[in-house]
Amino acid sequence: MTSGLGTHVTAGADVRALERRYRRLLLAYPPGYRAAHGEELIGTLLETAAPGRATPPLAEAVALVHGGLRARAERAATGPAWADGLHLGVTVLVVAGFAALLPYAGSIPVWTGLAGLATLAVLNGWAVAALPLMVLVAARVGAIALGRPWPDGTLLPVFPDAPWGEGPALYQGGGPVAPVAAWALAFLGLAVLAARRVPLRRRSWRWWLLAPPLAPAAQDPLLLNADPTRTPARLLAEVALLLLAVWACHVTGDPRWSLAAAVYVLAKCAELAENLPYAGPRELAHLALLAFPAAAAAVLAHRTRRHDTL
Amino acid sequence: MVVGMVKGSPAVSEPTYFILAALLDGPLHGHGIIKHVLGLSEGRVKLPVGTLYGALDRLAAKGLIAVEREEVVEGRPRRYFRLTDDGRALVTAEARRMQQAASVVTSRVLPGSAFT
Repeated sequence: MTSGLGTHVTAGADVRALERRYRRLLLAYPPGYRAAHGEELIGTLLETAAPGRATPPLAEAVALVHGGLRARAERAATGPAWADGLHLGVTVLVVAGFAALLPYAGSIPVWTGLAGLATLAVLNGWAVAALPLMVLVAARVGAIALGRPWPDGTLLPVFPDAPWGEGPALYQGGGPVAPVAAWALAFLGLAVLAARRVPLRRRSWRWWLLAPPLAPAAQDPLLLNADPTRTPARLLAEVALLLLAVWACHVTGDPRWSLAAAVYVLAKCAELAENLPYAGPRELAHLALLAFPAAAAAVLAHRTRRHDTL
Repeated sequence: MVVGMVKGSPAVSEPTYFILAALLDGPLHGHGIIKHVLGLSEGRVKLPVGTLYGALDRLAAKGLIAVEREEVVEGRPRRYFRLTDDGRALVTAEARRMQQAASVVTSRVLPGSAFT
């Protein structure tokens, strides 16, 4: 009798542990989907579970993460693809531009703050508020890259703050075109969107989380830095985001992510063009590493649209 | 794996084909579909829940299945799905296409072989 009760209690604990783990996996789904169908999915998952099982089978876990991400991509693939893709591309450029200034916030707090505010405005879809902020930041970035102290007499060169270690001075290694080109491209993209007078999508605040890990290498004028400790975060973020773009275009048949990738690659082309005399096979390989997935994403979106598979 | 494509219709993957085939016998809920598909495929197609509900969402969005009714069992909602006329037409056309494709081989195999 005691043994039977013990088995029952253990089985109950197993089911609760399994349910808890399934709920964690369901976080891959959009909140709206979870609210509408989360309990139904949990019910079906527990019904199909083998007795005494406390951990989800690998195939089930993979299918839930894949299904959740796909549901997110399908929900994002609504509205005009070009406008949303352009907004996403502008978002990536602005986050990267903000990340480049972050290690120097102690020396240029106002300009870093303005870049942060511009990022916030872009993420919230406030195009009209973001545009003047971007002009101010682009002007200051250009001045620093040209070695001019105006408008506030900042002592140049600008070195990183203590927590970021002994990195190079801000925009020390290249010409002024690349840093300004990225902000100018973001400005132009956002200006086109603002001219439509159609509200932009509000993007996740989690984009902010990309800025600190990207900061140490975000301002490198060359695409790959000689110091391998400085580039992995940027390279990993670039490759991971581009692979996500390829996958999202493939499953939805929507080209918005390929457009965003193309905007980013365009800014990187400006970097390479300015620094072409110093670019070697490694820099060209890096550009190819970015351009190939961007092109693949566009091709896969087209292919999925043509060959609709249920 | 994509099973194939009926002219003018979307291609149907194997899991989707079996989901539609399972609903030919009447409305089923998620767990019922998984069990029925496993039986129909003789244990070959074991649908993970994440895959099943993704496919059900896409089929419903295309009007090939619809929610017949909702129940609450042990405090949890449960939807029963049914085939629409379009869904029935699609799975029937797909079955005919595969039957024709299979006959290309089976009709040319001599009596006494494994296909007869």
